[in-house]
Amino acid sequence: MSAAALAAETATRLAAADARGLNAVLAWSEPLLKQQAALLDAAPAGPLSGMAVALKDNIVTTDQPTTCGSRLLEGYVSPFEATVVSRLRAAGGLVAGKTNLDEFAMGSSTEHSAYGRVLHPHHPELVPGGSSGGSAAIVAAGAVRAALGSETGGSVRQPAAFCGVVGIKPTYGRVSRFGLVAFGSSLDCISPFGATVADAAALLAAISGPDPRDATTLDLEPIRVPLPRADLRGMVIGVPQEYFPADLHSGVRAACDRAMSRLRDLGAELREVSLPHTRYAVPAYYVVNPAEAAANLARFDGVRYGQRRIGPEGDIRALYRATRGQGFGREVQRRILVGTFVLSAGYAEQYYHRAQAVRRRIIADFDAVFASGVDLLFTPTTPTPAFRAGEKTADPVTMYLADVFVCPASLAGIPAMSLPIGRDDGLPLGGQLMARSTDESTMISVAAALESVIDATAEVRA
Amino acid sequence: MTIDRGTVQHMARLAELAVTDADADALADQLDRIVRLVEQLTEVDGDAPSTDSAGVVVGPSRTPLREDVVAPIAMAHGPAEFAPAMQDGLFLVPRLGGMTDS
Repeated sequence: MSAAALAAETATRLAAADARGLNAVLAWSEPLLKQQAALLDAAPAGPLSGMAVALKDNIVTTDQPTTCGSRLLEGYVSPFEATVVSRLRAAGGLVAGKTNLDEFAMGSSTEHSAYGRVLHPHHPELVPGGSSGGSAAIVAAGAVRAALGSETGGSVRQPAAFCGVVGIKPTYGRVSRFGLVAFGSSLDCISPFGATVADAAALLAAISGPDPRDATTLDLEPIRVPLPRADLRGMVIGVPQEYFPADLHSGVRAACDRAMSRLRDLGAELREVSLPHTRYAVPAYYVVNPAEAAANLARFDGVRYGQRRIGPEGDIRALYRATRGQGFGREVQRRILVGTFVLSAGYAEQYYHRAQAVRRRIIADFDAVFASGVDLLFTPTTPTPAFRAGEKTADPVTMYLADVFVCPASLAGIPAMSLPIGRDDGLPLGGQLMARSTDESTMISVAAALESVIDATAEVRA
Repeated sequence: MTIDRGTVQHMARLAELAVTDADADALADQLDRIVRLVEQLTEVDGDAPSTDSAGVVVGPSRTPLREDVVAPIAMAHGPAEFAPAMQDGLFLVPRLGGMTDS
């Protein structure tokens, strides 16, 4: 298919998603799609030719606004382009538009966007997950084959599971963050969604690799899309008992049982393992993450970019306070306040340093399991299927616990991914694979093998 | 540790964030729940102070060095395009009179 034809088809599909009121895309334009297509059709084909890719609206481009889902950045257009965007364009990809997100990527339901909530693509009364809910929903709606999101504590895997698409978080440092609006600097990873494992893997391969503009990138060759595996003989897949609590949603459990049975059929050995500090991942995350968020979001002060408000006192401090007090939504304010608290004099030892110590234990748990001969870990991605809009917004802690199975890999910096493994009452369910640091290749090849033998649209409790 | 309105307003001052008293009450309740969640961390080591307070390093084990040369990033447009207020190439701010510690 020519890029011109892809651009026309993408415009039709994005318009249809808008007409359904999905609210997944904040900015897209047909003239911009056509303009890109003309350039792509004049250039040699690349690995992403024929693929339209939507971008979470915290990844900057020079031709569309970047709002981060916040009023504070309304109208902001970046003067430079993110490395991932330059790379996906160079690989032949067509940038479809900018997707809705929880404000500054803080949330698990995409209900915390200043531009309204994103609807679940198949069940409008439900949330699509978050914070990359717009990217997940627009792939699941079939408007694009792939999208970029960002992960800080599961913000790609969790919505991938809720929407029934594939989401891959690479090893921390695999993908350049130049041009990603910073949130949690020791956690943030740009991460792809795909309709299939192959699509997500192709996008990850195209954007990965070191970048002189991001000193936190690993000095390793870009990821290659692994060859498909016919069977998994010799592969040991660990099943951590902490991810299968007695009160796990029965549909989620049934889907995992079926997926594990398929992995066994393919020749893998499944082995029960333990990651004893799993239950402390969410508490540790909600110290480390707000601390880093409070520091990163100090730059939004109403002086250099975005919107400004002048406070009643009329001086610069009043400007800071009014701009931030009125420009940030409630969840962003909560994180900034918690982050300020856990770093403040008298409390840093009790909270921040303790959370760092627990984070080290979580990393040690993973190291020990992988050192024991386990190649990969298999778990549910989420404890439940997608929940109803409004169900968890009143209590932030309930919302945070939706990320209990995705937080640990984020804290450890290891690769992890979610793929669809079945449906319960029509709701998509995700299975998670986690791998040792930089071993995306094994993880992706096993995911592709599992994908090929499982009907992810089938009910798991038929 | 219990979070009350006073704690919220103190943190809001440190974070340069205007929070009304009505909002501070709701935030105090939510922050209190969040702090109770993170206090579960004490179960790991009890009250023992952390012996190693160094940050956790994920990613490259050391910061790579690059050539000490200026490598400007091409800008599609200048700050006047996105700054709230600019004059003569400078960001305009109101008077600095409030820049004293409260």
